[in-house]
Amino acid sequence: MKADWRSKPFHLSRRSLWIAFLLAPAAVIMMTFVVWPLVSALQLSFFRFEGLKPGDFVWFENFYKVLFQSPFRDATYNAFWHNIVVFFALMVLENGVALLIAYALLKELPGHRLHQVIVFLPVVLSAVIVGFLWKLLLHPLFGVVNAALGLFGIMGPAWLGSEATALGSIVFANVWHWIGFPALVLLAGMQRISREVLEAARLDGAGDWTILTRIVWPLIAPSVTIVTVLTFIGSFNWFELPLLMADMEGSPGRSTDVLALYFYRTAFGSVTSGIQDFGQGSALAVLMFLFVGAVTFIALKFLRSRELEI
Amino acid sequence: MANIASTTTTHQATGPVSYKGEGFKNGAIQALLWLNAVIMLYPLFVMVMSSFKSNAEIFSSPLALPQSLNFANLEKVWSETNFLQYLGNSLLVTSASVALILVVGTMAAYAIARYEFRFSGLWLMFFLSGMTVPLKLAIIPLFLQLNALNLLNTYAGLILVYTAMGIPSAVFIMTGFLRALPKELEESARIDGANEFVIMWQVMLPLARPAMVIVAIQNAVPIWNDFFFPLILITSDSLKTLPQGLTVFMGEFVTDWGVLFTGLTLAALPITLLYILLSRQFIAGLTQGAIK
Amino acid sequence: MTIAKLSRAVLMGGMAWGMIATAAFAADITFWTWRQEDKAAYEKFFSAFTAENPDINVKFEALPDTTYPTMVSTGLAAGKAADVIHTHAYGWLDQFVRSGYLEPLDEATVPSLANFTPDAIEALSFREDHKVYSVPFATMTLGLFINEDVFEKAGLTPPTTWEEFKTVGDALKSKGIIPLANGMGTSWFNEMFVSVFAGPFLGPEFAAELSTGATTYKDPRYAAALSKLLELRDYMPPNFAGVDYETAGQLFLSGRAAMLAGGSFDIANYRKLNPSLKMDFIAPPAASAGDVPHASKFYDGGYAVNAASPNKEAALRLVNWMGTTEFGNMFSNTLGNISPINGVEITDPILHHVAELNKTAVPHLNVVYFRFGKPTGSEILQANITKMMSGDMTPEQVGVEMTNGIATWFAPFQGK
Repeated sequence: MKADWRSKPFHLSRRSLWIAFLLAPAAVIMMTFVVWPLVSALQLSFFRFEGLKPGDFVWFENFYKVLFQSPFRDATYNAFWHNIVVFFALMVLENGVALLIAYALLKELPGHRLHQVIVFLPVVLSAVIVGFLWKLLLHPLFGVVNAALGLFGIMGPAWLGSEATALGSIVFANVWHWIGFPALVLLAGMQRISREVLEAARLDGAGDWTILTRIVWPLIAPSVTIVTVLTFIGSFNWFELPLLMADMEGSPGRSTDVLALYFYRTAFGSVTSGIQDFGQGSALAVLMFLFVGAVTFIALKFLRSRELEI
Repeated sequence: MANIASTTTTHQATGPVSYKGEGFKNGAIQALLWLNAVIMLYPLFVMVMSSFKSNAEIFSSPLALPQSLNFANLEKVWSETNFLQYLGNSLLVTSASVALILVVGTMAAYAIARYEFRFSGLWLMFFLSGMTVPLKLAIIPLFLQLNALNLLNTYAGLILVYTAMGIPSAVFIMTGFLRALPKELEESARIDGANEFVIMWQVMLPLARPAMVIVAIQNAVPIWNDFFFPLILITSDSLKTLPQGLTVFMGEFVTDWGVLFTGLTLAALPITLLYILLSRQFIAGLTQGAIK
Repeated sequence: MTIAKLSRAVLMGGMAWGMIATAAFAADITFWTWRQEDKAAYEKFFSAFTAENPDINVKFEALPDTTYPTMVSTGLAAGKAADVIHTHAYGWLDQFVRSGYLEPLDEATVPSLANFTPDAIEALSFREDHKVYSVPFATMTLGLFINEDVFEKAGLTPPTTWEEFKTVGDALKSKGIIPLANGMGTSWFNEMFVSVFAGPFLGPEFAAELSTGATTYKDPRYAAALSKLLELRDYMPPNFAGVDYETAGQLFLSGRAAMLAGGSFDIANYRKLNPSLKMDFIAPPAASAGDVPHASKFYDGGYAVNAASPNKEAALRLVNWMGTTEFGNMFSNTLGNISPINGVEITDPILHHVAELNKTAVPHLNVVYFRFGKPTGSEILQANITKMMSGDMTPEQVGVEMTNGIATWFAPFQGK
């Protein structure tokens, strides 16, 4: 083909037109609805908004406010901290349990197909359904969870109403919603390990725990990398569940506030308490974007190098 | 898979000591898997069960089975809400978006995978970079952009945004698949005098069907379930998608729990049924991006 | 973006064409609101208006309240907003006026503005130019709902003072009835909850001093009033931290609870949900016997004219009509809200009660004074009050947080 386009310039132009025709629609849509908005977000973050119109160009004032000026700063760090907590909680509760489920499924005991289908079922449901369902189940007076605890004579807590339990309750709903995803991704990683390796270890008398930690774990490193990075991105984009199960304000008392909620509230205002500020909102968005991008990049480098070592 | 299972059995049979232990351990593992299954399914069972209960029944005996198959809630949802409208909107938006993603994504991937041209690597990079971008964060300018294009509060606006979000992974999967197709077919068609379009349409793309199914499912499920973009881009009740309509509904009937559970059940029903029918394809499609 | 420019040009062309068309025929104007539930009522009002003004037709369009400010601002920016726009008052209105999107009104263009008290006019005025931008539409009153059936059955009378509230509360509890239905599970309502019970202890003097910065939320009077709320915890439902406003309403309507702190905006709603219930709306418990009753009050909003409306004359006529007693009577008696228009006759007995309470009501502090900058007093109070009620924060600390937060944009609080 190479010789083709060097020797026939006329053919080249028809061929390039054909290639351009193939590329153009996707490129135009991406430029219009992804690239341009992202560039604009950066631009908006440098303006002070007078009411709803961009006013003066103020350099980094919006960034300064959300990072260093109280009380915006306090809200930013509070939300940021919750994102971190959510990430680690999901790593342990969601991915940790998913690893065990995957290993149990790897044994291909009778009914394992059914169990795969069951554990993945909530993954296909909308966050709206999951959020509202758990909000009703966790209702402090009429919810099924507290009714069940009541059978054992336990007075259940207020769950979403108490600062001590609210974030944990939403994390739990998230685990229930998503656990099938890491479970089956890790299972796929495990199924790629050669059976001889596992059989050999078993014949040597290794128990399940040893096999899981010493053989399976190192060999599924690529899947673990992907799951970790996706959990990180997911934790820092956490929005739907806290919005639906708590509210836009991160109630009670900002205990469920996360960056995406704070960003949304800052940018669009909340009907009951706040006014809009596109400038500060855009600054938050740019910071979140940079942070998630940078950490993902570094993590991929680091985890990939770990994979190579192993 | 089958032969692997049989080797395991053989191994168990040859080692009677470990067989006993294995049996006990496998029993424990089975028990844990079933416990997990109960945790996954019981909330959904409560949801369906409560949709047949009256409000008073739910509050007084939340754990009990419904006293009778009472369809009053269903009737209320049917007659007092726009459920069917929302469902139709979701179907339209999802299918149009997926179709558009498949068309433009495959076109771009075909160019990158099957032709050598300058900067083709950069083009691929450009498309793939979109995979890492959380478009939610650019919602303010995206909103202003759609407003300027007169696409706010239209199906088209929503469809184009979903398409833009789906293109990167579609290009990624399709490029990988199309590259792996043998050159010979293409060459022989070219020698027979077929033009480039015919080669693409009649020779190459029919072979790419399995990858297209993956792309379709991978995009259809998140689009069907999305709540964020309609929340901001759609305001007319008549254009709302199912998840967004559900939030309106949950706000309206906030004191009538029987109706709320019915709404949740109805909203979950279509995709759950489809999932049960096509579970293998769903699982493959949705985990695809993370497995390669 | 050239596409954007192009579409804007097309749009403007379309609008110009629209202007010519409407000049020749009757004016069709549009009204935007977040009150989706009031559609039938407004359509009735507008047909009454058209009956009197046959050359003007009004089209009602409701937008969802969660995105209402966003839709209005972008609609205005793009020149696609309605001719008449339903607005909230105070800081909410402020941001639209600041951008120059709304038409200033005066008694020359809107004579019915004379029908309002200075208080009402001020709520819908821009603080920097003292011009009014929206014709006031409703006052909202915060007080105490009483389930009269429950009180009757228990042989008790509704409390008027704080001490009575506690005695009555104890008596109700001993009969297995929840005295106060409210919980802390809905943050926008928590702010109103604070106003209901702290209002009588603060009184109008504190509000006046606070509004000028003569005092701040660090004032010991504020901490003392907030600490009263802590005593309420004994009378609220079990797990009250998680009980949201809807659940509280259910507890109250079903008779499981005797009282509910709430707003006059829910009278019509509760009546619809339980038509047989005998209820009343009274002033919250006073600090001591013989005190003037102090419910809390704020102006919800008004009807504004889009400065870029091609039908400004028709729009002005509509908002003028919406300031007349004729409209006020229709409004109050159809929607069960108090119209602030002088001379409106209220027939409903409970609403009549509310109107009486309004005469001695105190301002709903943060909404009236501290929603003009970020962070608003409302968001700080909402974030901290649940902490105080769960014992993680003292009333003094809440006052400090609020003062310091508001001081970032409200000069009179700075350095205090």
